[in-house]
Amino acid sequence: MSEIFIAQDFLHLVLQTLQALAPIFIIFIFFQIFVFKMPRSAFLNILKGFLMAFAGLVIFLYGVQIGFMPAGKIIGETIGANPHRWILIPIGFLLGFVVTIVEPAVRILCKQVEDFTTGYIREKTMLYTLSIGVAAAVALAMAKTVFGLSLVYILIPGYLIAFILAFIAGPTFTSLAFDSGGVATGPMTVTFILSISIGAATIMEGRDTILHGFGLVSIVALAPIIALLIFGIIYQKKGGNLER
Amino acid sequence: MIVTILQFAIIKMPWIVFYKFLIGSVMVMIGLSLLLQGLKFGLLPVGEMIGSALSKKGSVSLLLFLGFLIGFAVTIAEPDVIVLSSHVDIASGGAVDKTVLIMMIGIGVGFFILISFLRVILKVPIIYILIGGYLTILVLSFFSNPNYIPVGFDAGGVTTGPVTVPFILALGLGFTYVLGIKNTSDSFGLIGLASIGPIITVLILGVIYR
Repeated sequence: MSEIFIAQDFLHLVLQTLQALAPIFIIFIFFQIFVFKMPRSAFLNILKGFLMAFAGLVIFLYGVQIGFMPAGKIIGETIGANPHRWILIPIGFLLGFVVTIVEPAVRILCKQVEDFTTGYIREKTMLYTLSIGVAAAVALAMAKTVFGLSLVYILIPGYLIAFILAFIAGPTFTSLAFDSGGVATGPMTVTFILSISIGAATIMEGRDTILHGFGLVSIVALAPIIALLIFGIIYQKKGGNLER
Repeated sequence: MIVTILQFAIIKMPWIVFYKFLIGSVMVMIGLSLLLQGLKFGLLPVGEMIGSALSKKGSVSLLLFLGFLIGFAVTIAEPDVIVLSSHVDIASGGAVDKTVLIMMIGIGVGFFILISFLRVILKVPIIYILIGGYLTILVLSFFSNPNYIPVGFDAGGVTTGPVTVPFILALGLGFTYVLGIKNTSDSFGLIGLASIGPIITVLILGVIYR
């Protein structure tokens, strides 16, 4: 079990995280000196926040590196090498559903939509629709890897549908929908589910790791966009008023 | 989460990997909650303060510049962006460098925040920018190295995360104050546009490394 903690990797990660947080920290210091001029205690509180975020990021990334990435890759490779590799598709569906339904950002979005439509679109309705939408998207992405489809053939029709719906739904829901594209692509999707599809693409003959393994996140990002636009159209058809 | 773990215990075998997965999950949970707490006390108030400071004495050009700078700085701190770039680095056997990719994604977000600020100033409907952006992507994808296409689209998806969203929203709020805009639909759309940027910059990278 000694291989769980590898000091060199860890140090590398610490440096990388420092590098990631440095620019925003420098901007903050600049603003503190020239604009905010906060009292010492408030300044120290924010420093503490930065420190926590830094520690959190290091622990998170290390966990991903030792746990999620290798496990996901092996799962993908195991199933990819199996003649019944199509089971990746239902597994993708299940994972997509579970990951979305527990994602806090998704719940916040659903609550926002409920408030926005003054309760007409229920939080729960939205949550289940979105989770099924994401699940279908992950399944589609896995199918893409299994059958070696090109990402473009999925994305172009997907975005065409989104644009047509956007014209019908109007500007307010369009902005809201495109903003929400990212909520479903939380840390679990990128760290774990993407590893599975990469693993599967690595092991299968005639599949390029990058060409067929990646692209999952972008398909998943389409699901909430389309779901919200459809909700927006339904809401307006039923005479919902957007002026608040 | 628990369902997921069970799932793997039943289907797959390698025990060391499974143990590491369990330890990894615990670390991910601890790390993520620590990060979110830190964001709440550290980065979020900073975002709000910068937004409101801008609303008091901001000039438009300063705002555009800061929009770019902050968009960049926040994106390269986004955990999903870092993880995706590591995936690409490993999968490509180091051909696509992690740091270069992270920087390009950051520049993409920064640039598109600048564009979406301009959009609000010039009162261009959001749908035109979206269609224009995606058309640019479509054209670029014909000239780009095919490997960069899925990577680019995935980069567009990961930019919106726990670090970027609150920061960009606070910035957008400050911005709408400067211009005295009351229409809510104008302050939305910032994040959606921000995710187009990285797709374009990564595809440009793909054109260069063809």
